[in-house]
Amino acid sequence: MLLPTQIESKVNVPTPTATAHSNDLPSGSPPGLSLADYASMAERFDECRLPDGALRPCWKSIANEVTSLGKSGLNDRESQIEQLIRENGSTFQIDTGEGTQTRPWQLATVPIAIAEQDWNRLATGLAQRTRVLEAILADLLGPQRLIRERVLPPELLWDNPRFLRVYHNLPVSAGHRLHLVGFDVARASDGAWWVTGDRTRAPSGLGYLLENRIVHGRIFPHLSRTANVRRLASFFGSMRRHFRTLAPRQKDNPRVALLTPGHGSYRDFEDAYLARYLGYTLVQGRDLAVRGERLHLKTLGGLLPIEVLWRHVSDRKCDPLELDPHSTEGVTGLLRCKRGGELAVVNSIGTAIAEMPALIPFLPAAAKLLLGETLQLPSVATYWCGAEKERQYVLEHLDELVLRDAFAVSDTRPVMPVRCTAEEKDALVRRIKAQPNRFVGQHRLSHSVTPVWHGERFEPWHVSLRTFVLQTKNNIEVLPGALARVSPKEDLLSNSPTQGQLTQDCWIVSDKPVDHETTLLSNDDHTIVLRRSGAELPSRVAEHLFWLGRYVERCESIARLLRTTLARLVGEDELNDLPEMTRLVAALAAVGQLEPDYAIEGLDGAMPQLDSVLPSSVFDTANPRALQNSVASALHNATAVRDRISLDAYRIFQSIHADISGSRRPTTVNVSRAMERLNRLITHLMAFSGLTAESLTRTHGWRFVLLGRRLERADQTAELLLATMVRPVADEVGLCESILDATDSLMTYRSRYLSLVRPAPAIDLMVTDETNPRSLRFQLNDIQQLLSDLPTEPGRVALGADERLARELQHPLLIADVGTLTEVNASGNRVELQRLLELVQAKIPQLANAIAGRYLIHTAPEQTLTGDREQSLDESLMPPEATQR
Amino acid sequence: MPRSVTYDIVHETKYTYSEPVAVCLNQLRMRPQTRSPSVVCNQCTVTIEPVPAKVDTHPDYFGNVVDSFAIESHHESLVVKVASQVQVNAINPFESPNIPTVAEVVHAIRTGQTEADLFAKEYVFASPRIPLAGHFAEYAKTIVNEGSSILDAVLQLTKHIHDDFRYDSTATDVSTTTQSAFELKAGVCQDFSHVQIACLRSLGLPARYVSGYLRTLPPPGKPRLIGNDESHAWISVYAGEALGWIDFDPTNACQIGVDHIPVCVGRDYDDISPMRGIVLGGGHTTLAVKVDVAPVELPTEVGPPA
Repeated sequence: MLLPTQIESKVNVPTPTATAHSNDLPSGSPPGLSLADYASMAERFDECRLPDGALRPCWKSIANEVTSLGKSGLNDRESQIEQLIRENGSTFQIDTGEGTQTRPWQLATVPIAIAEQDWNRLATGLAQRTRVLEAILADLLGPQRLIRERVLPPELLWDNPRFLRVYHNLPVSAGHRLHLVGFDVARASDGAWWVTGDRTRAPSGLGYLLENRIVHGRIFPHLSRTANVRRLASFFGSMRRHFRTLAPRQKDNPRVALLTPGHGSYRDFEDAYLARYLGYTLVQGRDLAVRGERLHLKTLGGLLPIEVLWRHVSDRKCDPLELDPHSTEGVTGLLRCKRGGELAVVNSIGTAIAEMPALIPFLPAAAKLLLGETLQLPSVATYWCGAEKERQYVLEHLDELVLRDAFAVSDTRPVMPVRCTAEEKDALVRRIKAQPNRFVGQHRLSHSVTPVWHGERFEPWHVSLRTFVLQTKNNIEVLPGALARVSPKEDLLSNSPTQGQLTQDCWIVSDKPVDHETTLLSNDDHTIVLRRSGAELPSRVAEHLFWLGRYVERCESIARLLRTTLARLVGEDELNDLPEMTRLVAALAAVGQLEPDYAIEGLDGAMPQLDSVLPSSVFDTANPRALQNSVASALHNATAVRDRISLDAYRIFQSIHADISGSRRPTTVNVSRAMERLNRLITHLMAFSGLTAESLTRTHGWRFVLLGRRLERADQTAELLLATMVRPVADEVGLCESILDATDSLMTYRSRYLSLVRPAPAIDLMVTDETNPRSLRFQLNDIQQLLSDLPTEPGRVALGADERLARELQHPLLIADVGTLTEVNASGNRVELQRLLELVQAKIPQLANAIAGRYLIHTAPEQTLTGDREQSLDESLMPPEATQR
Repeated sequence: MPRSVTYDIVHETKYTYSEPVAVCLNQLRMRPQTRSPSVVCNQCTVTIEPVPAKVDTHPDYFGNVVDSFAIESHHESLVVKVASQVQVNAINPFESPNIPTVAEVVHAIRTGQTEADLFAKEYVFASPRIPLAGHFAEYAKTIVNEGSSILDAVLQLTKHIHDDFRYDSTATDVSTTTQSAFELKAGVCQDFSHVQIACLRSLGLPARYVSGYLRTLPPPGKPRLIGNDESHAWISVYAGEALGWIDFDPTNACQIGVDHIPVCVGRDYDDISPMRGIVLGGGHTTLAVKVDVAPVELPTEVGPPA
């Protein structure tokens, strides 16, 4: 076997002297900031400046902008970008070594510019490389000439645990397996492009790239229009058209679903973003079912067929029946749909094997054999340790190399022996010698540098580009742009893009004006059949919306009660003179905001502590029932359905979360600070209610949000009244006012009864008044209506369990009489009121379960059926049986 | 030994569920394949109850035929019945003129001498159920002599495993790894075969896993009991291009003759488990299996009187 020849030639470019050069900067520009002043780096290609120090022409517009903005202007843009990204909720997961963490996405202030002629050379090479990898896949998953003719060592397939034999000979959509691929490229010191990695499974980064462009378009609106920057929109347009043509039927408007691995994956943000942008249905494995050899989306209204599946799930996790039986990310029967030609999967299952680093040294020979072509783009020098000479080379040059898994790019981090201790290195050498086939050594490539605004000056940071290529039936299109990753430390760029470096928008700058074709956020040319249905709500989404409604309501009612109580603490009266205080404290204890001890009557000494205890309970993070926890849960559910709610709605939750427990949590906690935050919280929540009422169509999604709210409000109100109104205090005026205030009914009361406060009208308003949206009767009427509007199985005549329970609750409220409810018996209790409230309290959880049982838990437990040994299969989610003896 | 025997085989698998199953999706690898010259499958019918809307078949990577089906209406039991007629011809590879030595086969594989050698190499690597660890090689090396004929050497190993390992269906289960079966020195045919394959691969010899049936002979004077047979597994070793794949049975310490009827081949059990499926619901599952292997031409002892 030959040693790979693409060892990078080190071309030494003379270090430019860091002095000012004559640039075509606008005359009279402020003396201060110029891109030409940033210190370049020896022996690295500079993206921004020529070797003589002059600015590259494609940077002219950016340089002018930098000069006119100056330091303060750039700092200002930097913080605007941060804010926009925060508001969009763009995050990524980072592996900290102690589990993953979500961090805000980072975008550099100034983009990187690449001249179009330069880029076109790269693009031609990337298009060819796509065809080469396609041909390799077609061969390895088919006739295997590469092995027969001894171009590839057979170990690359046969000792490769990633090559599942099921991938072989699976049918192909549109004549090819690769549809969207990614390549990581870097520039050597002589300016030549090198490929450092191939991504043939489901390249990540496209969503972030898109967002970077949109954010920069907003920060530099003028610049991006006048700088002749190539547009991205037509690439996304082609992608959408191509996905549509893949559909085996319904080609005019097929349902395209983006299969995402699920919550907590590094794909979370990006997949939601892409799905929303492209108008695709975002699905997880448990949203899907195969019936009648077709793939379906499980919705409230039944099963809806999916024609094209864009999967961001690993190949081996796509179908637990035929691939990894432990996977819950895919769907049982997917491969059968594929074999039956009933579904297009992008990229085809099995394409992951073309991205193995061990393939890199053999690409030139494979291109020759399969296409009769010379590979245009060089790849980073890669030595597969399965071959003796290469292994020897790697072991002798460890410190110059990066060691990687030969067969996989994703889950293991590369090892840099030069950074290892002597023991670690010994262990590595032993591992290489024990399993040489599993390792490749790669040269550390030099990366070009680009100016990055950091710490109030431009610094030369190394850059690596993630590029994207779309292969359609007759064409290959390279996205004119890239996700650029920059780092002051060159070595960090050999990690994957999701490991947290700063990113840059990448501009391909033409020397003539570019077409103003479709703009990025515009829709497709396609006519859409008008629809009003909403039954295609995935059950999983309905569940999140339901809980979103519940948590929002819980936040609101807790916040109102806390605010009402705090308002009394800062009033003029002595606390002991306020008879309602004991009841309010009992109510707070009942909803978990205070230690139950405070609610025990007669402990007068407890009262004075309230002004320190209550404010800190607003920001408490330890108590699981604390306000902060409901806020976090609301945000969690909103995040899970981010593709279903408006950006405005999502921002509300981010903002609330930041106020109470996140970045804007106050440093000192006192009564006035707590009041201020509660006021803001309540205002925000009212804004969300407004959005729900005014911006959500009356589909099932809206019904589930509302159902959650109604159930929770009934529960919270019953809880509050039980703690306060059942055992009347001596003077009920203050108490009634407080409770009316906490249930947002005080205004209504005043408008009806002026300042005459009595228990009977108060109880009427909070319990039996069907016109008050805060009353118990209103909640149950609404719940009953919402439930009857949800889809039922065809042909069903009887009421569902949920509807029965709702009526069981609604009827006592309908016939309740205020007079009887207000009556106090001999032992000083309102027994009728108590009975009614306790009924509500007992039935609401049952009702919630019944709703969940009917609509939300759509997936009965699956079990693996295996062979012939008699066994209880409940415990056998494990590979097959022992049939034989 | 008769030169050829034809069998009627019925393999019935029945699942009974304590709760109704809403949907099940299944794959079968139960169809015997013609592997000339030793095995000819005359016919094979698969019957499924309840009847699925459609049964698809496709060949898998190893050339086995896979039946896929789904049942999408509520059912409380599932019966799969495979009835086939297979003719098994006696081949005695030991009579071949040029039997290579172990070292010669190892060399041919390492260098990929011929195209057949190159593609046989797929079976020297670890597979999902069979890791390659040093002690498999250590064990095998005490038995296998590099200079002896490959067939003698593998038969030796087959007999040693039979003697060193205890047949015990309670010692292992479905998920027992090759590693722990090797440490336990006990198990069933699946474990015996996995261990022998691990040993052969550790020496650099390609080895595969074979599923099939074994004809059982009734005790002298007793009638053959219908449905009392069992499915079985053994191994196949690559003995060079001329001889190809030769089967041995470590559970019964023998080379394969006309009593063994192969169904599927793969790298290990996971590649060819006869039936795998996923059901929605079902509760507790009970499984009952009946296998009947009936020779069509009766064995010689009931032939015409001498």
